[in-house]
Amino acid sequence: MGEAYVEVTAENPADLMLAAYERAYDQGWTDGFPIIPATDSRVDEFVKASGRAADDVIGILPPRKGRVTIEVIAVNAVMAGCRAEYMPVIIAALEGLLDPGFPLELMQMTTNPMTPLLFINGPIRKELDINSGTACLGPGWRANSTIGRAIRLLLINGGSALPGVFSKVSFGSPLRYSFICGENEEENPWEPFHVGLGFKREDSTVTVFKASNYCNISGGEGVGPVETLRHIATHMPPMYGGGDGALLLLGVNHARSLHDAGLSKRDIQQAIWEFARVPVENYAKSFVETERGAGRGDERMVWRTRSPDEVFLAVGGGAGPQDLYISAGAPKTRLIER
Amino acid sequence: MIASDMFTRFARRMASTQGVPYMVIAETPNPIRDLSPDALRKRAENMMPAIHDGLTLPPAEIARRTKEIAEQQIHPRGIVRSGTPV
Repeated sequence: MGEAYVEVTAENPADLMLAAYERAYDQGWTDGFPIIPATDSRVDEFVKASGRAADDVIGILPPRKGRVTIEVIAVNAVMAGCRAEYMPVIIAALEGLLDPGFPLELMQMTTNPMTPLLFINGPIRKELDINSGTACLGPGWRANSTIGRAIRLLLINGGSALPGVFSKVSFGSPLRYSFICGENEEENPWEPFHVGLGFKREDSTVTVFKASNYCNISGGEGVGPVETLRHIATHMPPMYGGGDGALLLLGVNHARSLHDAGLSKRDIQQAIWEFARVPVENYAKSFVETERGAGRGDERMVWRTRSPDEVFLAVGGGAGPQDLYISAGAPKTRLIER
Repeated sequence: MIASDMFTRFARRMASTQGVPYMVIAETPNPIRDLSPDALRKRAENMMPAIHDGLTLPPAEIARRTKEIAEQQIHPRGIVRSGTPV
């Protein structure tokens, strides 16, 4: 990784920025994009904003067992372009990723492009301008772009998930640069996602998911709730490695119409569970056997999820005939403490 | 450890994160997923000498035999990231 402190000099600010970027890139500290130099004063400011001591250890990041202290988080957050006030979100997300039930070590090394998805609830969305409405998955919002990026830089620099060296990911994914949004609680006709988990509405939380693919469901086809949900579910086929859940982010239009038709979130989870199934003839026998053994199938069909509980339902994005399906499971939710 | 050749260096790297950098790795050409049971058995038989070494040699002897290759496999010189797995 190279030395911890480096001195970079140049004749003018633009050259200095470029030199810092080149240096960080050569050392393997970046995701490929330019970074903000993590100077002592900037790091101190970020540590202070966390409200914790610089040497507080948050956890050990796999695979190379990097000790992640508040200072390490601050360095990566500065490099990612964060504001200091984002620190509590990054810390809470990292705590979720380090939950023993979260498959972080697998995520860091596997050929599959799985990556953390950060889902934010509560008032902190407004306080930090974390987008949950139009274009909530980017680009365009600093908090969304840089908080997710800070997590990626921590996975690279803290855990050494360097592509081709410790990470065996075959294709990688654009989702690995930054994958974060808030829930559109203001246009969600049901209770927010975190309230359904037992948190208070005024709590701010981050839920980390193990996420892999991403499918925008376009067109808004279907008349009435059954057709609408059947159309959505056809985009959610059973898939290898998708066994731990499916996140459906309903667009605000469908959320409103389904709510007005009298459906609860539970009704929708139940319907998606029943509709997201594909005949066994469409799959390799070994896959069918695996899925059936895991409780995701019967004699005729392979199911996307084992039960309605594994269909995670939330509302996001802006107006339009669009919904979003993310193959996402193993959710871990943490309170964002400030 | 048993691994297909595509994963040998990676396997040693992972083992090193668990504190076991020196070990005998019995390797076989990748892929193995689509092999018939008979072909798979032949592959396993070919790996038996390495597996025997791994199970019977004293740790110091394994370390002596693998020290150099382990160093290069775990920290490939001059490599930060690579589009081709190293």
